[in-house]
Amino acid sequence: MEQTVFVIDDSPTMRQMVAFTLANAGFQVVEAGNGQEALAKLEASPQPALVVTDLNMPGMDGLSLIRELRKLPAMKFVPILILTTESSADKKAEGRSAGATGWIVKPFNPDQFMKVVQKVLPA
Amino acid sequence: MSGELSQFNDAFFEEASEHMTNIEDGLLQLEQRPADLDLLNTIFRSAHSIKGVAGMLGFSAVAQFTHKMETLLDQLRTNKLVVTPPVADLLLKCTDCLKALIGAAKGGDHPDQTLVAGLEQQLADYAAGKVPSADPAVHASVATPPKGTAPVQSRPASSPAETVHYQFTIGWTPPGNIFQIGLDPMQVIKDLRNLGTVSHLKADASRLPDLAAMDPERCYLSWSLVLDTAKTQEVVESVFEFVKEDSILSILDTTPDQPMSVAPVPAPPAESEGAHVKPLGEILVESGAVTPEDLNRALSQQKKVGEILVEQHVVTPQQVAQALETQKQAEAAAQAKKADTTTIRVDTAKIDRLINLVGELVITQSMLTDLGKHFSLAKMPLLLERMAQLERNTREIQERVMGIRMLQIGTAFQRFPRLVRDLAQKSGKKIQLVTAGEETELDKSVIESIGDPLTHLIRNSADHGLEPPDERLAAGKPEQGTIKLNAFHEGGNICITVEDDGRGLNRDRILAKAIKQGLVQEGEKLPDDQIWQLIFKPGFSTAEKITDVSGRGVGMDVVKRNIEALGGTVGIKTIPGKGTLFTLKLPLTLAIIDGMTVRVGKELYIIPLVSIVESIQPRPDTIRTIIGQAELINVRGAYHPILRLHQAFHIEPEHTDLLDSILVIVETEGERVAVMVDELVGQQQVVIKSLEKNFRKVQGIAGATILGDGTVGFILDVRGLLDLTRRIEPVAA
Repeated sequence: MEQTVFVIDDSPTMRQMVAFTLANAGFQVVEAGNGQEALAKLEASPQPALVVTDLNMPGMDGLSLIRELRKLPAMKFVPILILTTESSADKKAEGRSAGATGWIVKPFNPDQFMKVVQKVLPA
Repeated sequence: MSGELSQFNDAFFEEASEHMTNIEDGLLQLEQRPADLDLLNTIFRSAHSIKGVAGMLGFSAVAQFTHKMETLLDQLRTNKLVVTPPVADLLLKCTDCLKALIGAAKGGDHPDQTLVAGLEQQLADYAAGKVPSADPAVHASVATPPKGTAPVQSRPASSPAETVHYQFTIGWTPPGNIFQIGLDPMQVIKDLRNLGTVSHLKADASRLPDLAAMDPERCYLSWSLVLDTAKTQEVVESVFEFVKEDSILSILDTTPDQPMSVAPVPAPPAESEGAHVKPLGEILVESGAVTPEDLNRALSQQKKVGEILVEQHVVTPQQVAQALETQKQAEAAAQAKKADTTTIRVDTAKIDRLINLVGELVITQSMLTDLGKHFSLAKMPLLLERMAQLERNTREIQERVMGIRMLQIGTAFQRFPRLVRDLAQKSGKKIQLVTAGEETELDKSVIESIGDPLTHLIRNSADHGLEPPDERLAAGKPEQGTIKLNAFHEGGNICITVEDDGRGLNRDRILAKAIKQGLVQEGEKLPDDQIWQLIFKPGFSTAEKITDVSGRGVGMDVVKRNIEALGGTVGIKTIPGKGTLFTLKLPLTLAIIDGMTVRVGKELYIIPLVSIVESIQPRPDTIRTIIGQAELINVRGAYHPILRLHQAFHIEPEHTDLLDSILVIVETEGERVAVMVDELVGQQQVVIKSLEKNFRKVQGIAGATILGDGTVGFILDVRGLLDLTRRIEPVAA
C-alpha cells in the first residue's frame, strides 16, 4: 500500500524537490505551504506515515505545526522530520521538545534524504 | 542525483525572482521603518529560501552569497544590529549582486568576482559588528562549500577506503517519550542491523512498572547488544542521532585486539551504504590541515581528462578538441532550450474552476448531440435554450482561460520604488512614489512589455517634471515631490497613469524646439493636445542639459512606440506649475480586441474600437475637396482627411457618394482620418490571427479574424491607414 507523506515548506521549489524524491520512492505526497494549510489538508487526506516540515514559514511555522500535530490522537506517534539549514544543537533541542522525530540538514541530496526517511519510517 | 533535481531549476529561478522582489521591496520599506520585525522576518525568510534551494540544486555561489546576507539579516532581526542607511545600502547592493549571481546560474554572465568578494567581506564585517575580522569570513567559506550534490559526485573520494573490522558493545536506554516523538526503538535497532551483524541482543524490562502504573505511551525498555561492523564509531553513533541527547547510551569499542586487517576496497566506495563520504579535500579543510585556498589551488592544478589522455598518447589533441566541441554544442543546445521555456504560475483555484466549466461544456455538448439525434421542429425552443447555454459556457471558459494569463500589475510596479529611490538620490530631489491599483489584472505579455515604457515615464517625471526642492518651496509646494502610479480598468481597457506634481510641460519651449527641429512650421497653430504629442517624436528633448537620468531625447518616442505596439495609446494632460499626467491605455489582452465591424461593398472589416473617435454621416457643407490633393471633412472646425476604403483596397463599394456613406473617424498618435464605409455592422470581440505569420504583411491591415458566419474578416491597422491616405491622396482627387 502506498504510504502518504506530508511535505510542508513555504518554498514551492523545495517542496517539489522533496515531493519528487518521495514520489520516486513510491510514496503518496501531500504538499502544503505552511502549518495551517497542512492541518487543513490533514482532514481530507489519508493518515500520513511521515511528516516532513520546514521550520521557517509564514503563518504557522514548523514548530507550532509539530505541537499541533502531536495534540491529534492520530498523529501522536507519526514520525516528523524537520528540514533545516541550521544544524545547531539549540535548533535540534527545540525541535525535539516540540515533538519532532529528527531533522534533515539542507542542502541534502535525494539519497541522503531517503536514508533519513528510512531511518524513521517503520518498514 | 543532481541531474534529476536540475529539472527544478526553472521553478527555482522563478521562485527566486519572487523572493528577490520581496527582499528588495522589504529593504526599501525597511529604510522607512527600520524596526519593523515582520519586515525583517519576511526578508530573512526569502533569503533563507533562496539559500536552501540554491544549495540543493548545486548553485553554490548563490547559496554561499545568500548565506552571508542571511547572517547579517539574522543579526538585524534578532536586534543584535540596527538597520542604518549604510547597512540598508549594502544589502541593496547585495540584492543586485545576488540577482546577477542567479542570472549566472541561469546561464548568464558571471558577475565580477572581486565585487562579489568585496560585498561578502563587507557583509561579514557588518555581521561581526563592523570589526573587520577574518574569522567570520573563513568560517563561512569553510561551512559553505557545497556539501550537496554535484561537486561530491564529480570528484569521488580520492582517499583509498579501508575496511576495518570493529566490534561495539552498545547499551541503550531510549528516552521515555521516544514514541511521542514518533520514533520506534525497533527502527533504531533495524538501522544498526544495516551496519553489520547484531548479536547478544537483549531487552531489559526491569524498569517496567506495575500494569496499573504503566503509561502505554511511554517506553520503559532498555536494550543491549553487540555489533560487528566495518563502520567507525562515528557512523554507529549517527544511528542514534535523533535520540542521543535524551538517551542513556554507551557505545564501547570492544574490538578484539588483533592486527588491523587493512584491505583496500575497490573504488568507488558504494555511496548507498554508510554515511555520506566526503571528498578528501573537504575533510582536510575541516580538520584544519589545509586552508580552503590551498584546496582550491590544488584542485585547479588537477589536469583535465583530455590533457591526460593526450599525454598518454591515447588520443590526439584533435580528437579531444572535437569532443570538446561536441560537448560545447550540446551544452549550447541545452541552454537554448532552457531559455525558451517561459512558465506562468497559476492559482490552482483558477484551474479547478476551469475544469468544472469544461465539465459543464461536455454536458452541454452531449445534451446537444442527444437533441440532434431526435430532433423535431417542436424541440426548437429547447435547441435555442441549449445553444444559449453553450454560448454561456464558451464565454465563461474564454474569460477564465484569458484569466490564466492575467497577472496583477503589481509585479510590474515592484521595481519602481527602487528606481525612484535611486533617481532621487542621483538628482538630489526628494521624491515619493505612491502606487495604487496593484491588484489590477492584465495579460502577462502586456505586463512584461510595459515595464520599459513605465520606467521611461517615471524617469521623465523625476528628471523633467519634478523641480528641485528649493524651486518647489519657492513655488509654494511641499519640498517632496510626488509621483503617482495608478492602474485601473476602464471599459475593456486598462489604464495606467503616471502623474507628477511638478512644473508641467512648457508649451512655448516644446513649440520652439519643434520649430527648430522642423517638426512644426513657424506660425502654425496647433491645439495643445498636438503640442504635447510632439514630445513623443524621435530625438525630441527639451532638457537644457543631458543628465545621467534622461534628456537624451531617446525614451519618449520609444514609450509611444512600445505602447502602440501593444495596441494602446498614450495620453497627456498637463497644467503648468501643477504637474503632468500620462495615461497609458492598453487592451486587456493582445489576442482579443473589441472591434467595430464595418461593411464596404460585400467585404467586412474590423476597426479596433480603441481607435474610433466617432462615426458621422457627412453633410454636403462639411466636405471640402482640394483639387488634386485630398478630400477633407470638417468636424466641428477641425479638418480630417477622408480615406475611401474601397479605393485603398480596390473593391466595389455600395456607395461612392460620400453623402450616402458613413465616415468613421479614427485616431492614432494624435492624427485623425475619416474612413469611408458603407455600413456599421456592429460591435463585437474578435480574436486576432496573425496575417504576417500565415501570409505576409499587408499595408493597412493588422491581422485577420474569423467572423461569426465563418468568413475571414480583416482587422484594420489605423496607423497603416493613415500612411495609406498620404499615398493615395492624388488618386483620390
